[in-house]
Amino acid sequence: MNALPQIMVTGLTLGALYAVATLGLSLIWASLRFLNLAHGAMLAVGGYAAFAVATNFGLSGPLAFLAAMAFGALMGWATFWGLVRPILDTRDFETNILIVTIGLSIILENGLLQIFGGQPYGQPVSVPGALALAGIRFPIQNMVIVLSAITIVLAVSLLLRWTRIGLALRACAQDRDAAALMGLPVTALFSATMALAGALTAASGVMISSITQLSPLLGDDPMLKAFIMCVLAGLGNIGGAIASAFLLAIVEVMAEFYFASRWGFPTLLFLVIAVLIWKPNGLFSGREVQRL
Amino acid sequence: MSEALAISGLSGGYGEQTVLHRIDLVLAVGSLTALIGPNGHGKSTLLRAISGLLPRVSGKIMLFGQSIERLPAHRRARAGVAHIPQGDLLFKEMSVEENLRTGGFFRSKSDFARALDEVYGLFPRLAERRHQRAASLSGGERRMVGIGRGLMQDGRLLMIDEPSLGLAPAVIDQIYASLGKIAASGRTILLVEENPARIIGLASQIVLLDDGRFVWTGDAADMQANRSLFETYLGGVAT
Repeated sequence: MNALPQIMVTGLTLGALYAVATLGLSLIWASLRFLNLAHGAMLAVGGYAAFAVATNFGLSGPLAFLAAMAFGALMGWATFWGLVRPILDTRDFETNILIVTIGLSIILENGLLQIFGGQPYGQPVSVPGALALAGIRFPIQNMVIVLSAITIVLAVSLLLRWTRIGLALRACAQDRDAAALMGLPVTALFSATMALAGALTAASGVMISSITQLSPLLGDDPMLKAFIMCVLAGLGNIGGAIASAFLLAIVEVMAEFYFASRWGFPTLLFLVIAVLIWKPNGLFSGREVQRL
Repeated sequence: MSEALAISGLSGGYGEQTVLHRIDLVLAVGSLTALIGPNGHGKSTLLRAISGLLPRVSGKIMLFGQSIERLPAHRRARAGVAHIPQGDLLFKEMSVEENLRTGGFFRSKSDFARALDEVYGLFPRLAERRHQRAASLSGGERRMVGIGRGLMQDGRLLMIDEPSLGLAPAVIDQIYASLGKIAASGRTILLVEENPARIIGLASQIVLLDDGRFVWTGDAADMQANRSLFETYLGGVAT
């Protein structure tokens, strides 16, 4: 049997998951120029938030998904005002923020461990069943993930490209001083960017846990891969990061299928090293990195 | 209200370094004041202090009677300060029109369309390049976008930092012809220029800044009568 169609189905699902996971990380890099090392922990918190509202309040899947996004947005917003803003104008911001976000990551992951324990849970926000078409199996949850990811990526692209708030967010990302001179409230817009990134990260957490399992360390592996995708695309290049997500997911699944499952991640690392040697600014940076 | 801007005892700088020393300055409504002086003596820093980009400032800044020295930069812009900085600070990844849209961000839809037509009327080249990325424009075109974006803000005080810097003479002529039209529209303008010849016939008040202090104030006739002073500071006054 030709395995390629099934590999593509799995690869596209994984690509969709990576795309949304990468989007939050890339938005923050493009705008505030820092790597959020709490991204993985925030992703796990998003997954647990959906789990908590679905099991405790009986919310339906879509509502639990939206509630998790809202919680993620609140978490991103609070992270900005509580942790990022106080050190934003310090001389060693780039170093300080790495330490701060590592600290936040430890707090969040241990908080999840305290509240929910270490045992894995199944994500109730999930649609069981599968469709079979021409010998290819399409799990319904995978289709939901792909459609949700496409919707999210399109919505964020449209928001950034065609709306007034998108124009303001892009202006702040490209030049803080110039944006302030235009009368734009830069600090408030940065907090909005982190709220948006938080919502996307939480959505990603719900999606990933829906086909794996909930655990406090759920986000570590996706964060590492999201970082690889951002680097491969050129840091801050959001469109490139999404393209990289699908490309790398398909490569990973193919490597796992044709060689062995242990070869998936090393193949990604090999690719990113090769790209950095060949094009140090990233695969999709032609002349200059396209920011936001 | 006859004073657009009134500054008193303004000092400021970066970190430990003080660049401006107790500056006093008054701009009449609708006037064009030229700020001249040697390179690196505080002209751009003074504009940054007024627009709120300078990190350390003390003294008073009144804009049309409103105290603005404690406001952050974005609120000063909303209060009417339009600062076109040296190097333009364009949003390089945005198109020409998107840059102009950021300038007119707080205008109403109809007002925005009218202002955009005015800017394109003043700089027809920008209309031709409206969808082009700012990063790919020539130096003169970037300067036009910078000035156009400042005009889109509808600032009551327009501060322009060295519009002729690094441009070919023909482009400078074009930019200054546009500045003449902008000045005739009744806006209050504070213009930084290193070449005194460019401001004769344009500025109603000329201020010479040296080492962060005002050392001379007058008009174009006074400047030409004090040629030796300007030769000392700037290397001469063309006529």
